[in-house]
Amino acid sequence: MVRDFSADVVVVGTGVVGCLIAQQSLDAGLSVLMLEAGPRVDRWRIVENFRNLPPSLRLFHWNAPYPPKPWAPHLETRTTKEQEQYLQLEGPNARAYLQGYVRYAGGATWHWAGICWRITPEDMRLKSLYGVGRDWPFNHDTIEPYYTRAEYAIGISGPSDPTLQWPTNGKRSRPYPMGPIPFGPGEHRFTEAAARIRMINLPAPQARNSGVAYDGRPACCGNNNCFPVCPIAAKYDAATALPKIEAKGGKILANAVVYRVETGEKNSIEAVHYFDPDRRSHRVTARLFVIACNGIETPKLLLLSKDERNPNGVANSSDQVGRNMMDQPKLTAELELREPLWTGVGPVQSSSILNTTQGEFRSRHAGAMFRMENFARSPLGAAAALKKGLVGKALDAEIRRLSACTARLTVEHEILPSANNRLTLSGQKDWLGINKPSIYYDVGDYVRQSAREYTVPRLQQLAAELGATKFQLSPQFLNSDHIMGGCIMGTEPATAVVDPDCRAHDHPNLFLPGGGAMPSATASNSTLTMTALALKAADAMTNQLRHG
Amino acid sequence: MEISRLLVSHRLNEEVGRRMSVAMAKLNPSLAQQIDGLLSIARGKNARVVEDFFDDVPDGPLKETALAIISAWYLGVITDAPDAEVFAYEYALMYQPTRDVMTIPSYAISGPNGWTDQAPPLSDMPEF
Repeated sequence: MVRDFSADVVVVGTGVVGCLIAQQSLDAGLSVLMLEAGPRVDRWRIVENFRNLPPSLRLFHWNAPYPPKPWAPHLETRTTKEQEQYLQLEGPNARAYLQGYVRYAGGATWHWAGICWRITPEDMRLKSLYGVGRDWPFNHDTIEPYYTRAEYAIGISGPSDPTLQWPTNGKRSRPYPMGPIPFGPGEHRFTEAAARIRMINLPAPQARNSGVAYDGRPACCGNNNCFPVCPIAAKYDAATALPKIEAKGGKILANAVVYRVETGEKNSIEAVHYFDPDRRSHRVTARLFVIACNGIETPKLLLLSKDERNPNGVANSSDQVGRNMMDQPKLTAELELREPLWTGVGPVQSSSILNTTQGEFRSRHAGAMFRMENFARSPLGAAAALKKGLVGKALDAEIRRLSACTARLTVEHEILPSANNRLTLSGQKDWLGINKPSIYYDVGDYVRQSAREYTVPRLQQLAAELGATKFQLSPQFLNSDHIMGGCIMGTEPATAVVDPDCRAHDHPNLFLPGGGAMPSATASNSTLTMTALALKAADAMTNQLRHG
Repeated sequence: MEISRLLVSHRLNEEVGRRMSVAMAKLNPSLAQQIDGLLSIARGKNARVVEDFFDDVPDGPLKETALAIISAWYLGVITDAPDAEVFAYEYALMYQPTRDVMTIPSYAISGPNGWTDQAPPLSDMPEF
């Protein structure tokens, strides 16, 4: 039978995972079609959107410069009412799943911090070592070469000095492609203060060009605007991959909202169906399909696609699709200090404390990553000084003092996978008539115990060491935008959605790479690990297609 | 601009000032009268800077308007709300008192890795 495929490989989603897989597939001689729910945009447009936001939306409302299209809704936070429109969140920690991803071509890397930690060998063996959570189905030696390829693919700058590297016990097969980004005054002071109480603040490996151009993108010049957008693309974002994909013959269809995955005989994937902005449906076929539209949109699409062969959703014979939703539950502390810290020099994040993520205590409570935030605090200092009714020289002096002598500290906890933290299809429909995602989230006692006995006391010690005169803890856990677990990886089809190559157990020609596959959340940013998994999946896919 | 220059002793962009005063007058029909009131207090004290006359401004609408004008120059908006018109970002004065250290986000004044971990004293104040 002659089969006329739209492409060898169809990739749903143009974020970092989808784009890396597209590039690897093209390099292997395969044809690629990418489907993106949202629009293509120019960088200058996002920068102008940002600069024209009022001050209260320029910080913390990272989606504000990215107004969604009606057919590709994502979280908007300008008002509480707006916030409740798309993600239907429930549970004691609903607030901690208010995930700010971007349904635009390029995905959430448009506004990520760019921090690229590797996980540790212990992070991959929580069950064996500590009796909690799940083990990864392979060890650190297996993922290490993929980490290396990921670091070179997106351009990571990091320290060559092994005493500053993380994990401390991990082997690196190649140096970082670029040297570390220098600290500003705040990070320098923070590092010294933290060291006095055995919290080691390390320079973060980051997807920011350090001192040199890389891969056609310029070096970081300290715009301090990494979120919501790097004005010059010194920070990697997947939008920069799109023209490269097209140059190699890849096709990208924007404003194409995939709403159904179609299965056929032997339960192989036959096609995906998408709506265009006129609400017309189109059908696209391929030899192999990759769904990489992030940890919420991918399980949502699989559940939407239930059919007679797959009554619980595509790829869901395990009933794990949409379960085990994870992120790093976050707490923040606002400090006022006796002496200046000075943020706003260099990138918005450039370092973290990770030695607090590891230890025997993980059998009892979560480990956590600590950091200071390095965004410029000038607008916060100004707003606070103006509220005091000051004028003239006194106003200027107080703006300077409150900008320099305040800080935000952040702690992100490791959550365990729980079947009850679950994404399902809400009864509410979006503009296209597609069910909005509903997510139930409870950070669990493992995290709450950590906050009570470990992380909040450590935050207070850190604050004291910095000379804090005021300390205000966030009243509840917050989101860290690292969406994981909804298509969890494992060797057993009964308890996992994907295999060690992120191939769906139920469908040999369907791959679900990304944060959703991660069996442990760890306490650190997930993107580099997702990227490594993308490259591992790409190897498996290209082998599979080449050898039948 | 006369009242602005008396309330805010810094370099002010006239175009920004014109646009803000038009928008403020729409929100506050008494603006012109209140500005006259403030000017007459200032002239009564031979004021050259805000400290010369601000203590003599009575609490109530006059003081509120004076503070609103100052706030608009510093924040670049009249009210800081989601759909607010933005009159200034790069030239909003709120960034100026720390301009020697803190970048105005998206307006880097540096070059590749062009910064250090040293900061000037808190007592310094940039000229603006």
